[in-house]
Amino acid sequence: MRSAEITAEPAETRQLSLSFLRPSRSAVIGTLAVLAFLVLWQIAPTMGWVNGRFTSRPTEVFVAAIDIFRNDNFLYHARISLTEFVAGFALAIVVSIPLGVLLGTSKIARYLIDPPLMALYIAPTLVLLPIMVIWLGIDMAPKIAVVFLGAVFPIVLNTMAGMSEADPRFIRMARSFGATRFDIFTRVLVPGSLPALLTGLRLAVGRAVLGVIVGELFVSQAGIGYQLNLYGSAMRIDRLLVYALIVSAFGYTLTVIVRSVENKVRDWRSK
Amino acid sequence: MAQIEIRDLGIDYRKPKSNEVFSAVDSVALSVEKGEFVTIVGSSGCGKSTLLMAVAGLVSLTRGSIEIDGKQVTGPGPDRAVVFQEASLLPWRSVRGNVKFGLEMQRWNGGDLNERAMQMIRLVGLGRFSDYHPHQLSGGMRQRVNIARALAVDPEVLLMDEPFGALDAQTREIMGAELLRIWERAKKTALFVTHDIDEAIFLADKIVVMGRNPGHIKEVIKVDLPRPRNEAILDSDAFHELRKRLRAHLAEDMSSMQLVQEVA
Repeated sequence: MRSAEITAEPAETRQLSLSFLRPSRSAVIGTLAVLAFLVLWQIAPTMGWVNGRFTSRPTEVFVAAIDIFRNDNFLYHARISLTEFVAGFALAIVVSIPLGVLLGTSKIARYLIDPPLMALYIAPTLVLLPIMVIWLGIDMAPKIAVVFLGAVFPIVLNTMAGMSEADPRFIRMARSFGATRFDIFTRVLVPGSLPALLTGLRLAVGRAVLGVIVGELFVSQAGIGYQLNLYGSAMRIDRLLVYALIVSAFGYTLTVIVRSVENKVRDWRSK
Repeated sequence: MAQIEIRDLGIDYRKPKSNEVFSAVDSVALSVEKGEFVTIVGSSGCGKSTLLMAVAGLVSLTRGSIEIDGKQVTGPGPDRAVVFQEASLLPWRSVRGNVKFGLEMQRWNGGDLNERAMQMIRLVGLGRFSDYHPHQLSGGMRQRVNIARALAVDPEVLLMDEPFGALDAQTREIMGAELLRIWERAKKTALFVTHDIDEAIFLADKIVVMGRNPGHIKEVIKVDLPRPRNEAILDSDAFHELRKRLRAHLAEDMSSMQLVQEVA
């Protein structure tokens, strides 16, 4: 065999990298920009450019953060919100994956359920929040329902797409070796649709976080959204910003984790 | 008795839009002896791939019958394995994983799956690459995996659907010679579909020439070139003679095609 046939060596032979000691230009510029912004934000109220009551200051936000973690029953509220998130998301996974598989493998089921599903996916599920409150009260239940509704559709639709868009040549190949329908499902359709499923999960994370916060903002007795409401009416910009940062960091971290799994799974696609 | 016996075979399709029935293959009769290497050649649309897929049991017959070792073909079976033209390696599986796929599907119990797969991978010359994934391989290497996967299940008949069709001319030649080397060792009956005349002659004990509208067999040509063969044979007189004969057949097909286009 000729060596010209070898197109790619595996990446394991990557040389030891010390590049973190020499930050890239974009990283330097990015950091400088953030620092400049913080300095500007800090001095602007003192210089009289803006009203500090509405903008707060980085130092105030920092103090507020420490205060929130120490005295604000933060863990209690975070636990409430996290419970709503996890319960709604878990429920969405349990319902949406089998449903997506069913829709992806059965044309009849798809013809039947696809149009209303698509409509529900596009419509903001938050419009159902007042109904959920009427039905389920003001405790965790309506938030769990809204998280569920937000997360369920992206997972269903992506799982369905992953299943139904399986390469027919793979299925034919499997059949040629005498694969049963079950074999084709477990060995071809499931691994083939995994990247799409993960995409669905990633999109669902954002919607679920939104569901928790908006649900709590609307009506609640506890939770991160409840705190946001509280400090909003008290005009505590510093504390509001701390909570905003916490929520974004949470959503961002989850998204990054799912995306890295996704990239790993999708690795074989990169050409 | 011949190993593959095809009698009065006809395969009709219903066109999805117009619901019109058209015949892909009609009145095909062919017998293939055990251990024979048969190439099927013809211009595109002559039903050669359809014929092969019918032998594989992946296409249902409208008329006639196909028998392998006296048994009627009603679907895929462990006595046959297919090497597809392209994209039939599962991208999430390594080379070894892909070669094991057929063995897994057939619930192979002739020993350790990994060992069997590695044996086949070495046979096609990819021993070093067993942990690579398809996207890391060249087209030629992928087709080696494809062949290894088919050979792994130890079929009686190897069915190949233009396996080198997507490769460049040079790789194609190398792969042809390589395939003969493997075939001479494995001693399988082989049905090989191609539209490349040289390839058809180089590999074959017997060439089946097909024509269009509907797909039918125009001629079966015996190839008496000595084995083992190498590239030198491409310049022999006997080879030139066969090439001329096949060219004439295909040219005929092309001109009738042009006629149809002019009328339309």
